[in-house]
Amino acid sequence: MRRSRIVISLVAVVIAIVLQTTVFGAGRIEPLGVAPALVTLVIVAVAPYVEAEITILLGFTGGILMDLIGSGTLGLWAMSLTIVAYIASRVSYRYKDSVWLSLAAVFVLTVLGQSIYVVLGTLFGQETATEPNVASKILLPALWNVILGYPVLWLARVAFRTRDRSWVA
Amino acid sequence: MIPQSGRRMNRVTILFLALITIGFIIATFDVRSEGDGVGDVLREGTQSVFTPAQKAVDWVVTPVVGLVDGVANLAGLRDENDRLVDRVRELEAQVRATDALEEQVAQLELINGLVVPEELSTVTARMYSGGVSPFDNVRFIDKGANDGVVVGQAVVDEDGLVGRVDLVSANDARIRLITDPLVSVGVRVQSTNETGIATGRGDGPLRLEMFRANEPVQAGDLVVTDGSRFPPGLVVGTVATTAQAEVGFVLRSSVDPAANLSEVDYVRVIVGFSPVDPSLETGDTTAIANPTSTTTTPTTTTVPGDG
Repeated sequence: MRRSRIVISLVAVVIAIVLQTTVFGAGRIEPLGVAPALVTLVIVAVAPYVEAEITILLGFTGGILMDLIGSGTLGLWAMSLTIVAYIASRVSYRYKDSVWLSLAAVFVLTVLGQSIYVVLGTLFGQETATEPNVASKILLPALWNVILGYPVLWLARVAFRTRDRSWVA
Repeated sequence: MIPQSGRRMNRVTILFLALITIGFIIATFDVRSEGDGVGDVLREGTQSVFTPAQKAVDWVVTPVVGLVDGVANLAGLRDENDRLVDRVRELEAQVRATDALEEQVAQLELINGLVVPEELSTVTARMYSGGVSPFDNVRFIDKGANDGVVVGQAVVDEDGLVGRVDLVSANDARIRLITDPLVSVGVRVQSTNETGIATGRGDGPLRLEMFRANEPVQAGDLVVTDGSRFPPGLVVGTVATTAQAEVGFVLRSSVDPAANLSEVDYVRVIVGFSPVDPSLETGDTTAIANPTSTTTTPTTTTVPGDG
């Protein structure tokens, strides 16, 4: 059971990266010029269903894959998403049973992940903090994640075979 | 004795701190190696693993997105069509006039014994994926070392300069867009003929710095490549704000890129140009074993090398 949850989580992260770079990347679906942050969304969505250690490892793995696919300094997304995953693992029991709290967590943790990346990028010599529209690059992915949040959170429930059907109503 | 939950929390925190430390070490090594070495090998390997999935999704998504775009823009299509028909007529007239001029130029070149520079070979490629975040100014194309693509080559579309080749594998390549802060382009303002450097800022207009500018630049002035790193005469964009250099100071302005970077689909990689500084081409030798011995014949077109 535990192994299947790990595999599902990893597959979800890989799918998120592929969709991020194809459907939402290359200027295709980028409302207001910015795409959602799917990997962050997936991490927040699976955190309530896997152990804290798995969530943190998932955050690190997703982040390092993003670093390797992307063009920035290696390790920055890994650190950012590890922090997001750590916080998600600590607070997931609070938002697990509420749609609104889950969506709030998605928003806050996405803003946090993007902000940490900007700070780390600046510390490691990238010009992320001085980029034009940096505020929209932090806030818009969070907003799009909230819009995509309900179906993704619902999919996570289905994938992890939770018997609780309170969300259906 | 530590309670069970407390022990577990300790383990989680230790794992968290260990991974943050690993991330920090990786970042430090990557900064130290300036993007070369193991980092690039890992990037190429990871990209080659993801490429089949990305191309498959791209194959499915492109028509759907095109259909949605078409339906969304249906109302404006008729007006756009009328406008384009008028534009085509106008351009056909210009082509006829240009043909006559070209004939005259050819005759003059022949009379004066001028050596005309050869036109540059290009390889047409399609973009199939982009960066993983809004801070990534990269795109991936479906042509690579087997097609003659090497690191440092200029990438253009019908509007102008798009970026430069940044990472090459056998059948794919990564392009760093001109808006990326790591991309600097040697440019010439066509109205004044003075040169400077245009550098990406991550988004929006490029930063224009001219170190020995005697004349001001005006908003709308055309900015082209100066031939140091990319072929001369490629359109980079237009000056966004009028500016004048004070005596002894750098002229600073900005350039609106000519290429609409959010809607680029097909591009051309200029494979037939060597930059003035040969060191700019370093780093590609590992990606291409022997480009002349490849069996694939690139589908090449030509762009003017100067103009």
